[in-house]
Amino acid sequence: METFLYKLFYDTGALIDGWHAAANAAGAARGWPPLVVDILFQLGWAVAAALFLALNALFIIWFERKVAAKMQLRRGPNRVGPFGLLQTLADTGKLLIKEDIIPTAADRPVFRAAPFVVLAATVLLFVVLPFGKGLIPADLNIGVVYFLAISGISVIGILSGGWASNNKYSLMGGMRSAAQIVSYEVPGVLVVLSVAMLAGSLKMGDIVRAQPSYGYALLQPVGFILFLIASNAEINRGPFDLPEADSELVSGFVTEYSAMRFAFFFLAEYTNLFLAGAFATTLFLGGWRGPLLPPVVWFLLKSYIVVFVLIWIRWTFPRLRVDHLMEFSWKVLLPLALLNLLVTAVLVKVL
Amino acid sequence: MRDTADILAAIRSRFPRVENRPVDPAPSLVVEPEKLREHLLFLRDQLSFHHLVFLTALDRPAESELELVYRLFSYESRLSVMVRFRVPRDAGRVPTVSDLFRTAEWHERETAELFGLEFTGHPDPRRLLLPDDLEGYPLRKDFTHPNMPRLPEVTST
Amino acid sequence: MSDPTTPTGGRASPATAQASAGTSDEFLLNVGPQHPATHGVLRVVVTMDGEVVKDLQPHLGYVHRGLEKLFENRTYEQIIPFTDRTDYLSAIANNWAYVMAVEKLLGMEVPKKVEYIRVLMAELNRINSHLLWLAAYGLDMGAFTPFLYAFRDREEINTMIEEASGGRLTTNYFRIGGFIHDLPPAFFPRLKKFLGRFGRAVDELDTLLVENAIFVARTRGVGIISRERAISYGMSGPCLRASDAPLDLRREAPYSIYGSLEFEIPAGRNGDTWDRSWVRIEEMRQSLRILRQAMDGFPEGEHRVRAPRNIEPPAGEVYSAVEGPRGEVGFYVVSDGTRKPYRVKMRKPSFSNFSALPEIMRGLKIADLVAVMGSLDLVVPEIDR
Repeated sequence: METFLYKLFYDTGALIDGWHAAANAAGAARGWPPLVVDILFQLGWAVAAALFLALNALFIIWFERKVAAKMQLRRGPNRVGPFGLLQTLADTGKLLIKEDIIPTAADRPVFRAAPFVVLAATVLLFVVLPFGKGLIPADLNIGVVYFLAISGISVIGILSGGWASNNKYSLMGGMRSAAQIVSYEVPGVLVVLSVAMLAGSLKMGDIVRAQPSYGYALLQPVGFILFLIASNAEINRGPFDLPEADSELVSGFVTEYSAMRFAFFFLAEYTNLFLAGAFATTLFLGGWRGPLLPPVVWFLLKSYIVVFVLIWIRWTFPRLRVDHLMEFSWKVLLPLALLNLLVTAVLVKVL
Repeated sequence: MRDTADILAAIRSRFPRVENRPVDPAPSLVVEPEKLREHLLFLRDQLSFHHLVFLTALDRPAESELELVYRLFSYESRLSVMVRFRVPRDAGRVPTVSDLFRTAEWHERETAELFGLEFTGHPDPRRLLLPDDLEGYPLRKDFTHPNMPRLPEVTST
Repeated sequence: MSDPTTPTGGRASPATAQASAGTSDEFLLNVGPQHPATHGVLRVVVTMDGEVVKDLQPHLGYVHRGLEKLFENRTYEQIIPFTDRTDYLSAIANNWAYVMAVEKLLGMEVPKKVEYIRVLMAELNRINSHLLWLAAYGLDMGAFTPFLYAFRDREEINTMIEEASGGRLTTNYFRIGGFIHDLPPAFFPRLKKFLGRFGRAVDELDTLLVENAIFVARTRGVGIISRERAISYGMSGPCLRASDAPLDLRREAPYSIYGSLEFEIPAGRNGDTWDRSWVRIEEMRQSLRILRQAMDGFPEGEHRVRAPRNIEPPAGEVYSAVEGPRGEVGFYVVSDGTRKPYRVKMRKPSFSNFSALPEIMRGLKIADLVAVMGSLDLVVPEIDR
């Protein structure tokens, strides 16, 4: 069963490794240093990731609008393209041709840079996502820590965006958003720590392999739910979207942004949505593992199921007020996460 | 809780002029403007007329007066009364009751700007509904404005 | 609301800040007149100290159309369509209060069937209005879905009202003496179907929004007003009843056939925002009860009294009030014996309810402003007239 097609779908990682080895050999034969081949390969990964990012954003925005519409007894986009699939393309096109307005008193370099910082944080996270068996751009041995650390960089982008807008309300929205993300990271980290303890490793690939076939969700039910809530808050979504919605009745840190800059913030938000689903899948649902279907398909399927749940939550609940948000994180989630960690540690030692 | 007959008797003994205007079943108590506050206080505290339904004015150009009407309702006895009196059309002054009935604050502001009178002691005598630059008192019968057309007279249809 | 395709997320223009006033931390926040929440054209200037509201000044008059002056130059029949437009969400209640006043001036008694139709329409209108309140309030709080569910239910009611009156919102349906046409034959089958379904719809909306933990956390204990202060401010309707005051004009000053109908008056315990919301949900359930009784007891008879060609009530005055969805809707009509009224004073519930807002908001956080204002269920055109 070692046909090319089988390897392409079911063992893509090994296939790519094979190509890498062959390219290395070819490069060595030509006298190129191995670094050049490696860089070329990484460029290839980068292009693939960028393509995936774009297609994913296109799809996930359509997905959200359709799912929300069905829950609200509507149809959602259904004119542009079959089933409205090209709606996002049309919206992006519109945003591209809009006037780019920068407030006069804004801090221009920071204002310009902020969306890219947020987007960079998002894109960098693709590096450690296990899309399939061996199909990780880089299976860092501190994979999980890398994920948590990089996701914190988005806070810098948000704060800069809020501050550089030279608008009291953008600043407050930015600070609130930053406070929210930082607060909800703590229980998130503790839950991830529990999972790492169960798996015995911080490598993403190992965590996926170490899970039983039904995933860690059943072994760590509390952890799973905590993680979903924390992710929801990290990506400024669902009941936790006060910083960008009604905060003092303005749009929060994104108020002064228009056209493509605005589009980048939201590209980042929707990609973060996918990443939340992907990370949850990796840690709790068994990643790319599953019978019959190719691993990549399983990974995407499971990620999108989590995304669906997050969408569902967003359209069902009203918004949390800012002080409730903070209280909830520090007084409810954190103690639960600590308890979860304790119980996991004890059980891992004992069993 | 006193019953209806008691309350009406108390009203009759306290208020010298109690009239019945057609068609309103609520008695109209005609008072002197200077005694307005103590009368309303009596109605509110002794007879439980806690609810000031509205207060407004009627323009009586023939007598060159403005007639003020206050309607009170009691949730306990389910009775209504109207308290009324007249003030001169020019420079009419009425003591405020906005500290007795909090709803009067806005009702008085509205009445003052629409009819042109002053509620002495009012905590916030600004205009409420009308633009600041409007001259004249719209609800007076002789109010005109260049933008105000008169409809043709209605004849039998 | 984040609609990724527009820069401000599809909302109206944001609030603007003005320069510092007073002490160092105080500043003014201007809310409106264009307002993300759908209350109407209203301006509120809030003096804040950090997050806390120190004072709140409403600025009204954006929708002042001079209706009371207008009425002095219209015949009694011509005024009826205007009454719809004062509070377009409770057009029936406004129609009724006015028409009842004129009928009293004329000494006219309407047939029983007319009273039953009026009650049916008024209760349907009450449900309609409360559904819209729920939809808009959910939107303010960030819950988008109840809006669509509530509007689906409103569609059914609108169809019934439209078949009977010709209008979905501003119905212009009541006439002095009854109605021009009887109820259409499709009305009762539709009503029956609606009554069978709506009980569960109310429960669904209740669970989705009012009983939701996040909603409760945002509204319980927020924006309290005591019973005494509420009455002093002239509050009425659900805003008053939430403050432990089960006072409803349908009981306190019964009109039409309400004296013979069985229904409860829901009252809250604390006078906070959550109670005001809960009271409205319960009122919808009670309206269903009233509708069932009115439908079951619907009499035969005339749908109108032949009113004289020219309505010329003898000189006199009357005040006639009904319990509208927002509270006490009253018309004080003074007649001088001619075809046009001498004075019409409209007593509107939102006017008094809104006047209590500064006192309620003092000391609360700015984040609560949206919740409190939404719970008062204001309709600005009836404040300004």
